[in-house]
Amino acid sequence: MSSVILMKVLESSPKRYDRGMKILFFGNLDQIYDRLISDIQKGQKVLDIGCGTGALILKAAQRGAQVKGIDINAQMLEVAKEKAEQWGLEQMTEFQEKGVSELDKEEEASYDAVTSGLCFSELSEDEIRYALRHIKRILKKDGLLLIADEVRPQNILRKIIHWLIKIPLWIVTYIGTQTSTRAVRNLPDKIKQTGFLIERMRFNSIRDFMELKARNRKDKAE
Amino acid sequence: MRIVKYILVSIFETLLRFFPMPCKTGLREFGNPGPDSPVFLTCNYHLTVERVKRALKGMDCYLLVANSRGINVWCGAAGGHLNNHRVVSVLKTSGIEERVNHRSVILPQLAGPGVEPRAVRKKAGWSIIWGPVYAKDIPAFMEKKGEKNQEMRGVKFPPLQRIEMAVMWAFPLSVTAGLLTSLFWPRMNLSLNVFIWVFSFFVFLAFPLYSKWLLWRKFEFLRVSAFLWGTFLVGLLVYSVLLHSFDGKFWLWWGVVSLLVICLLSVDLAGSTPVYKSGLHEDRFFKVVLDKNKCRAAGCCEQVCPRNCFEVDRSHHTARMPRASQCVQCGACIVQCPFDALWFENQKGEKISPETIRKFKLNLMGQRALGMD
Repeated sequence: MSSVILMKVLESSPKRYDRGMKILFFGNLDQIYDRLISDIQKGQKVLDIGCGTGALILKAAQRGAQVKGIDINAQMLEVAKEKAEQWGLEQMTEFQEKGVSELDKEEEASYDAVTSGLCFSELSEDEIRYALRHIKRILKKDGLLLIADEVRPQNILRKIIHWLIKIPLWIVTYIGTQTSTRAVRNLPDKIKQTGFLIERMRFNSIRDFMELKARNRKDKAE
Repeated sequence: MRIVKYILVSIFETLLRFFPMPCKTGLREFGNPGPDSPVFLTCNYHLTVERVKRALKGMDCYLLVANSRGINVWCGAAGGHLNNHRVVSVLKTSGIEERVNHRSVILPQLAGPGVEPRAVRKKAGWSIIWGPVYAKDIPAFMEKKGEKNQEMRGVKFPPLQRIEMAVMWAFPLSVTAGLLTSLFWPRMNLSLNVFIWVFSFFVFLAFPLYSKWLLWRKFEFLRVSAFLWGTFLVGLLVYSVLLHSFDGKFWLWWGVVSLLVICLLSVDLAGSTPVYKSGLHEDRFFKVVLDKNKCRAAGCCEQVCPRNCFEVDRSHHTARMPRASQCVQCGACIVQCPFDALWFENQKGEKISPETIRKFKLNLMGQRALGMD
C-alpha cells in the first residue's frame, strides 16, 4: 500500500485544522467573523458554504438566524454538530455533507444571506464561477453575500511583505498541523461580474485578507 | 524538446516525490474531441497528469483533472482527498456536460478506495467506468473497448518504480543530513550523503531478496531493519579487516548513523511499495471477509482490486478470493461492493463495516479501526 507516512502528513484532522487556523491568523479570526455577520438578523435564513467546524455559522445561529452549513469534510461536520449541541443551538442549525457543485439543488431565492469563511480560497476558478452563479440564484432579492478570505495583494511592495510573513508562517502551520490556505485572485471582480453590488470591503494592513459584503441585485444581469 | 522537458520534470518531481505537487484542475482537450469522445478523469498530482497526457497523445478525448490536493491517485483516494465530492465537482463545474452527449467517465482503477460510482451517479448523473491501473495501458484499454485483463488490473513494483522510491527517500534524507553535517561535522558530509544514496538504492533494488519477510504479521519492520543493519555491519567489518584498522570512533559513528538511516527507511518499507500492506496502521491485523450469502457476483471487487485477489464465478453467482494473501488492504473492494458483502474482520471477530470504511479513510492513526463497530 502506498506510503502511509505520506497520508499521515496529509490527513485532514478537524482538531488540527482549528489549531492551524489560529496560528495562521494570530487568533484574529474570531473578531473578523463577528464583524462579518453583524448584519445578520434574528429569524433570517442563512447558508454557510464550507462551514468546516462551524466557526462562522454558529455565530450566526447565536444571533438567532436559522442556519445551514455545508462542507465536503464529514469529520469537520461531526465537530460542528458537536459544538452546536454543546451550545444548545441544535434547533437553529442543520449540517449537510455537500460541496459547492451541489448548490444547484438549493431552492431559488430561499436565503437571506450566504456566508463563507476561508472556503473560496480552496476552490478552483471553475468552482468559484459555478458557486457565485448559484449563490446569486438562491439568494432572495437584496440578500447578502458575506465573505472573509485570503486574497492576493496587488501592490508589489505589499506582495513582498505578504510572502515574507506568509512563507515562514505557512511552513510552521504545515509542519505542525498539515493545513494551509491559498489566496484567491480577483474575487471582488468576479463577485461584481456575477451581478452583486459590493457594499463594503475591508482589508487588513497588508491587503492579503478581505472581508466583503455584497448585495444581490436581482434586476441586473438577468 | 518536449521529451527533454518531460524527462527534466520527471527527475525533478521524483526527487520531491514525497511531497504533494498540485497542478491546475478542470477540463483539458486532446486532439479534436467531439460530443461522443471519451472522457477521462485523473488527480491533480502534476507528474500523474504529465503521464496521462503522454498516454492520451494521438487520441481525440477530454481529460478532467480533479482536485486531489496535489496527491497521486492511490494515496489521494485512500487518504480521502480524491473523493466523491471532488469527482462530482469537476464533472459539474468544468463545463464537460455542455461538450459531450454521453454521461460516462473513465477513472483510474486506483481511485477505487475513495470514489463511489453510486454516489457520483446520484449526485451528478454520471456513470463511472474503471480504467486500467497505469496510464500507459489506456490505449490498449480503449482498443479492447473497455475490457481489462488481469495484467491491466494489477499493481507492479518493477525496478524502475523501485528506483523512484529509492530516490524519493534518499533526496529529502540527504538534504537533511547535508544540512546537519555541514553545521556540525563538515568532514562527514560527503561520505554520509554517499551512504544515504547507495543504501537507499540497495534497499529498494535488493527488495525481491528479502521481501517475503515483509509478509510476517508482527514486528515485520524490526526484522527487516535488523536484516538491513546486519548486512551493513558485515560490510563494515569486511572493510575494516581489509584495511586492518579497527577504529572505535569510526565504528561508533557509522554504527549509529546507519541505524538511524535504516530505521527511517524501513519504518514503513512495506507501505512504500504498492504490493505489501503498510505495517503501521491498525488495519493490518484485519482481513477482508466475503459473505457468500450477500454476494450476487456483481464483480465490482474483481474490477477494482489492484492485487487480483478476486475471481467471480458467474455460473454460481458468487465471488471467491483465491489470492486473498496478496491483499494490501486498500479497501477498494469493500467500498465498491453494492451488496455490502465484504468487510474487514480480525481474529478476535471484531469488524469494520463497509459504512465505516467509506467514511473514514486510511491513515496512520488507524481511524478506521477506531471507528470500529
